[in-house]
Amino acid sequence: MSNRWEPKLVALVCNWCTYAGADMAGTARRTQVPNIRIVRLPCTGRIDPVFVLKAFGQGADGVIVSGCHPGDCHYVQGNMLARRRLSVFGELMHFLGLDRRRLHFAWVSASEGVKWSHVVDEATAAVREVGPLGRWSSSNRNGSTVFALPERGREPRSAPAADEVARVAAALRAQATALLAGGEVSVVAGYERGSLPGQMVPGFAADPVGVEALDWNERCASNLTVYLPELLKREGKIGLVVKSCDAKAVVGLVRENQLDRDRVILIGVPCAGVWEDGHLAAKCYACAEEVSPLADVSLDPASSGGRAVADDPRDAEIAALEALPATERWEFWQRQFGRCIRCYACRAVCPLCYCGTCVADKTRPQWIPVSIEGAANTTWNVIRAMHLAGRCVGCDACQRACPADIRLDLLSRRLANEIEIRFGYRPEQDPTAAPPLTTFLSSDQDEFV
Amino acid sequence: MNAFWPRLMRIAEAREETADVRTLRLEPLDRDGGLEWRAGQFAFFTVFGAGETVFTIANPPTRADHIECTFKKLGKVTAGLHRLSVGQVVGFRGPYGNSFPVEEWRGRDLVFVGGGIGMAAVASPLRLALDRREEFGEVLVLNGARTVADLVYKEEMKQWARVGGVRVVRAVDPGGESPGWDGEVGLIPDVFEGLGVAPAGRVVIVCGPPVMFHFMLLALDRLGYPPENVVTTLENRMKCGFGECGHCNVGPFFVCRDGPVITADEFRRLPADL
Amino acid sequence: MDGWRLSDEQLRAWLASLFAGGRRVVAPAEEDGLVLLREVASAAEIRLDPRGRTRWSAKEFLFPATETLFSYTFDGDDVALERPPEVPEQVIFGLRPCDAAGAARLDDVLLVDELYARRRERTTLVSIACADADPACFCTAVGGSPAGTEASDLQFVPLDGAWVGCCLTERGAALVEGAAPLWPAAGEEDWAAVEEQRRAVEESIGAERLPAEWAGVLAEHFDGELWTVLGERCLRCGLCAYVCPSCSCFDVNDAGNALCGTLCRSWDSCGFAQFTKQAAGHNPRPTQPARYRQRVLHKFAWFPLEHGRFMCVGCGRCVELCPVGLDIRQAVNKVATA
Repeated sequence: MSNRWEPKLVALVCNWCTYAGADMAGTARRTQVPNIRIVRLPCTGRIDPVFVLKAFGQGADGVIVSGCHPGDCHYVQGNMLARRRLSVFGELMHFLGLDRRRLHFAWVSASEGVKWSHVVDEATAAVREVGPLGRWSSSNRNGSTVFALPERGREPRSAPAADEVARVAAALRAQATALLAGGEVSVVAGYERGSLPGQMVPGFAADPVGVEALDWNERCASNLTVYLPELLKREGKIGLVVKSCDAKAVVGLVRENQLDRDRVILIGVPCAGVWEDGHLAAKCYACAEEVSPLADVSLDPASSGGRAVADDPRDAEIAALEALPATERWEFWQRQFGRCIRCYACRAVCPLCYCGTCVADKTRPQWIPVSIEGAANTTWNVIRAMHLAGRCVGCDACQRACPADIRLDLLSRRLANEIEIRFGYRPEQDPTAAPPLTTFLSSDQDEFV
Repeated sequence: MNAFWPRLMRIAEAREETADVRTLRLEPLDRDGGLEWRAGQFAFFTVFGAGETVFTIANPPTRADHIECTFKKLGKVTAGLHRLSVGQVVGFRGPYGNSFPVEEWRGRDLVFVGGGIGMAAVASPLRLALDRREEFGEVLVLNGARTVADLVYKEEMKQWARVGGVRVVRAVDPGGESPGWDGEVGLIPDVFEGLGVAPAGRVVIVCGPPVMFHFMLLALDRLGYPPENVVTTLENRMKCGFGECGHCNVGPFFVCRDGPVITADEFRRLPADL
Repeated sequence: MDGWRLSDEQLRAWLASLFAGGRRVVAPAEEDGLVLLREVASAAEIRLDPRGRTRWSAKEFLFPATETLFSYTFDGDDVALERPPEVPEQVIFGLRPCDAAGAARLDDVLLVDELYARRRERTTLVSIACADADPACFCTAVGGSPAGTEASDLQFVPLDGAWVGCCLTERGAALVEGAAPLWPAAGEEDWAAVEEQRRAVEESIGAERLPAEWAGVLAEHFDGELWTVLGERCLRCGLCAYVCPSCSCFDVNDAGNALCGTLCRSWDSCGFAQFTKQAAGHNPRPTQPARYRQRVLHKFAWFPLEHGRFMCVGCGRCVELCPVGLDIRQAVNKVATA
């Protein structure tokens, strides 16, 4: 038996078209390379990118996705949704340093047995050229040189003055008192001082004592919208202190039918930015919105003029990563994901991670191995980013929560930029606008078919 | 010894009790000697490719050349066990836990109450009492299930009913009876009260779903059964079986290590974390 | 007291000698701006910092985040089992006294199992005492100390640019056998300075020791109303349990395919919603306050009632890293004094 490596490909195919076409290729005795294993699905629209990740994690070197031609889908539109989803996923793969040639997307109908053989041959040849994927584990443990992200540019503004911060805090307490006293809300969720010096933590005020503890300063980093579903289970109506970035998540929750907007009063607090360890948070560089335009009640801003903004430093970091050869980029991400301990803090703090049973917790089948290492860590981090594609509002709560300092914000931002470039969409504006990955246009590009 | 190392067992017999409850009879592959356990102890069963699951060992130590388990198809591993056939191999590790204080029951009348799949947990001490019949007093078996189709050990119960001094009462939930059903209809606690069995030093061994157990305890209180005479066997999510993984920790108690057999009296003193 | 006073270079030279003989060396190293305990390939990678604790504890090297229990291969209807690979000798250098105290508590729970016991007996713990503390530290509250030697085989105390070391066990002695005779002995004044530093750091921590009776007091407050308020902020991740040096709960799972597989155990947390969820759907701890209560009581009531000491070692990581700023000290104080 030859020891020469042969690529292993998994083909995720739809039952109605490609599976029949592959069957036809077989009965017609078409020759093709024997490197594929076929998985039959009702429709390519059923394909969650976690299937692709699972295939890679289990040892596949390449994946073929194939379904009905546009317009022919047995379920009308499944293939059109798959096209968008997998195109975006292909970009994410590239960003991670996974060669895009490992993922092929094709339209093969039931009568196109010949085409199927060609698709398989071509995909296998492409993957053979790329080489074996290898085991997904962090190889870079012993301090060898790994790419370091570029230094951040100068911060566009400085931290607010203490008296301004105090003014806002006082106005916030007055607003909370008014809302509670007027019976409009039964609790106001805001921030209060934590036990560590300078720390600000979520606080829930239901009475004057609670209101007295509410406070505000440039360390109020948490996105409180994550508490909405739980609070609304037991309270009729609540007040929620929001920064401009946090409030965007409310739009997403409304859009996805997770929130009755009438049960929340958004209290827009004038935010100069969030400072951590003396540095302005990356997401605040480009933010010009001192008070959230989505607020129901707004506290007075610091000034009526605009404020200094700069480019989001993550874009330069993303560009630097994308300038690297793919293998180095892959090493960078493997080192990041290798540190993951699967504490799921990223999921816990995200307002849009509200699934009753997360894909990571499903056991039949087990999409993401429970083990805390290698392929499982990569699969988790990538699929979380992908499941939030087009939904994530860039509040960076995940990245701040991560005890392993994994640059989750780079994944989210890369995907958000991709979605904006392709579809002209940012998730925070109109609650009625459909997220691009839940819809399609017949003019969508077929770029890797 | 690697505490997780299983003993390999071959499935010698498989009996479908209901649509989703199955009994397996397992025999060891190796010839390392007999199996030893006490009634009420439990074990971990490994389905290679799916994982481990936990059941009370359903047969009594009076029948010690094999292991029996009766289980309901609820999750990944039990579904795996349902798919296996006679001749295939599973893993077994155990026995773990404490056991029913059977010696203390000598000469006394016994009541076994099993609800749904809980019947499998009382089966072990029940079968032991029947095997050593002359050591114990009168035996009452009350077995309930949602519907007639869900009753387990149907054939064996007929045999039990024929033993002297043994009374078998079967009940289904209201609406669960089928035409020609000759047993009781009602929720187990109600049926039990209706039987009018006086405490009189009886030991009651009861196991079933949390709701049933809760109302049985209340009924037993009302009827004057001293809580130290009421025994149950607890169920929890478990992963190790010997007090290490933390899943079954309730207050100072580990169900796997300090239980699963516990009196109603001890149960009430545990924190309400069960 | 016997011991030595070493310079930075001398300590580094000894660390370099540890790599011989196929031993695994774990030490503080930098990775993407974080200082973590990591398996290192050379002494040059080791961050010899007298200040600050590593982001995570030494737990993962005693009790790995994921560990194979056994492997299996199918053979027709039969199954062949294989033991997990042997674990190498290892030295964990640079852990703090709180981390070593965590190892002692892991021992209390996990020594029943051979896999842990084998790894533990092949591990030498070389701790570094603390020359400072941060606001999250509270080792003194739970019976520990910035210069505590519990579970350490050797300890080095950073003192004005030098390292005052001592040997605490035979395992430790074996590790310094070759080098120690050449090291300058530590004098009376060195030990006095070590003691003074310990006292000063303890004072800066400023945490009074919790009375042992509080274990019982907390146990009695199981049904208290306070848990609802204390637990409402918790977002049910596993971060606190995973960074904790003494948390040891784990899950057991099968990872296999049609040919072969493994049964492994991985870290688990009582904070997760499905930690106690049963297959039939019943969950004895259905709310986050109930789960948060378990975390606090297991550490400060149930474990101490059984093992005679608090399970928490006061390292402060959960306090510092909790995404929503939950502070277990506050929970304990509020409940015990309610």
